[in-house]
Amino acid sequence: MISDCKIISHEVISRDYRKIRFHAPEICRAAKPGQFVHVQIPSLSDRILRRPFSICDMEDDVLTIVYKIVGVGTARLADAVPGMMCSIMGPLGTFFPEPEDGKIPVLIDGGYGAAATLPIARRWKQKGILLLGARTQDDVLLTEEYKACGYDVRVATQDGSVGTKGLVTELIPGAIADTNGKCVFYSCGPNGMLMAVGKLSLEQNVECYLTLDHQMCCGVGACFACVVKVKSDSSPDGWRYSRSCCEGPVYPAKEVWYA
Amino acid sequence: MPDLSVKLGPLTLKNPVMTASGTFGYGMEYEGFFPPEDLGAVVVKGVTTRQVHGNPTPRVAEVVSGMLNAIGLQGPGVDKFLHDDHYLPGLRKRGATVIVNIWGRSLDEYRETAEKLEAESDGIAALEINVSCPNVKEGGISFSADPQKMAGVISAVRNATKIPIITKLSPNGAIPVFAKAAEDAGSDMLSMINTIPAMAIDIETHRPKLANVTGGLSGPCVKPVGIKAVYDAAKAVKIPIIGMGGIETWRDAAEYLIAGASAVAVGTATFTNPMAPIEVVRGLEQWLERLGAKSVSEVIGTVNL
Repeated sequence: MISDCKIISHEVISRDYRKIRFHAPEICRAAKPGQFVHVQIPSLSDRILRRPFSICDMEDDVLTIVYKIVGVGTARLADAVPGMMCSIMGPLGTFFPEPEDGKIPVLIDGGYGAAATLPIARRWKQKGILLLGARTQDDVLLTEEYKACGYDVRVATQDGSVGTKGLVTELIPGAIADTNGKCVFYSCGPNGMLMAVGKLSLEQNVECYLTLDHQMCCGVGACFACVVKVKSDSSPDGWRYSRSCCEGPVYPAKEVWYA
Repeated sequence: MPDLSVKLGPLTLKNPVMTASGTFGYGMEYEGFFPPEDLGAVVVKGVTTRQVHGNPTPRVAEVVSGMLNAIGLQGPGVDKFLHDDHYLPGLRKRGATVIVNIWGRSLDEYRETAEKLEAESDGIAALEINVSCPNVKEGGISFSADPQKMAGVISAVRNATKIPIITKLSPNGAIPVFAKAAEDAGSDMLSMINTIPAMAIDIETHRPKLANVTGGLSGPCVKPVGIKAVYDAAKAVKIPIIGMGGIETWRDAAEYLIAGASAVAVGTATFTNPMAPIEVVRGLEQWLERLGAKSVSEVIGTVNL
């Protein structure tokens, strides 16, 4: 699906972070937690590629994206103002499956990875725990939104400026204990963190879903740019490259290749 | 209404617009945007004898008005391509006109791939021989380093199959020499240009932006290179030329036709606008109508010097 969507609002969250909202009824009706949209940045005419963003919210026909200014594309997006139109492809990719009855979602996010799991907190009846890791206070996002959904929010920062001092993975044993092991992990964040979360879930025998990706071009599986390594019985090496845009971005942790 | 069909040697297509290999997956990926059978042809991503992992990531880097890629010809292998519904059987069911891009690390791999496709050629309109991929160490571009070697590949494929063959040329090297060599070796058509060997470096880390170090440049920035290649080749050979490189709209496609191409392919533009190939078809039709042209052939090679 591809549609021209009007920007409704564009807010500064903090120096590096922005929240942009689009009127996008068709995308919102089709979207599921964990999926993404592929956005053509307005007035970025000398750059040809779209930019993928996790869907942070899709309630009431309003598509919300929370992003960090990291390069030329997001810097130009930050200049976009309400009323402008934006070409958006989506919703794209795989999504987070709901846990079976009696299991609690434990969301494990790094920085603005918290944007990708917010639809879980909003949509699913079963509430749970958010474990959010960040470098420092400024990178701690969306905690109020999670609390408003009824989530138990636990934060770890590397500099100790807010929450526990340390890595988000250090909060995982506590969450497993508090749910008596009856939990499912859903995780989005930097690759190193995801690999650690995935390995830990396998050791602890907890069902786990990771959001993996790589630089993306087409967003629909045609170009083979955004590949990540997954296990493969049919490959003599035991792994193959999987297109994270269409076979992912959400992967069961047990299918990911850790090396 | 102008007649959009084009005759490319032994091949007749309903319109002159195809996809460029590597930018349209194996043909079914864009099914949700427009019917692939509405194009002149779907040119699928490169296929060889076996499954190929491709290169490590990062595989792409964006540059001003273009991009570099070094995917490394990741693919399922010819057997899976022929039998799995995501590939040829899916396209056959839809009634799409399919051109299969083939490559190999050796003459034997080109031959074996062509033989397997020949054996189950139902629904395959042509083979496009990739002798110019800049992103794999063996095969690919090494066969386009000299015209004799390239001719060897074409002869091997020619002897293995009756399916019409297209030879895809690199923009590097003397286009008229390679174009003539391909024609003499039995190629029914030529396609050009493949991506241009290129490189980008991150000045913070001093590291190349691609894991493969170098890659192929594509996108709107390469169009003038492609136009000249087609113009030069059209003067050197009689066989039809499929022009590609930087086509985003019907205007770019029209420029290739005027330069001497008999058909065109849309590549990188599809990543930005998934509707680009089909929009080019409609745009060309309206252009021909405005010109009062009855067929595409009336505009081919009409450069006014």
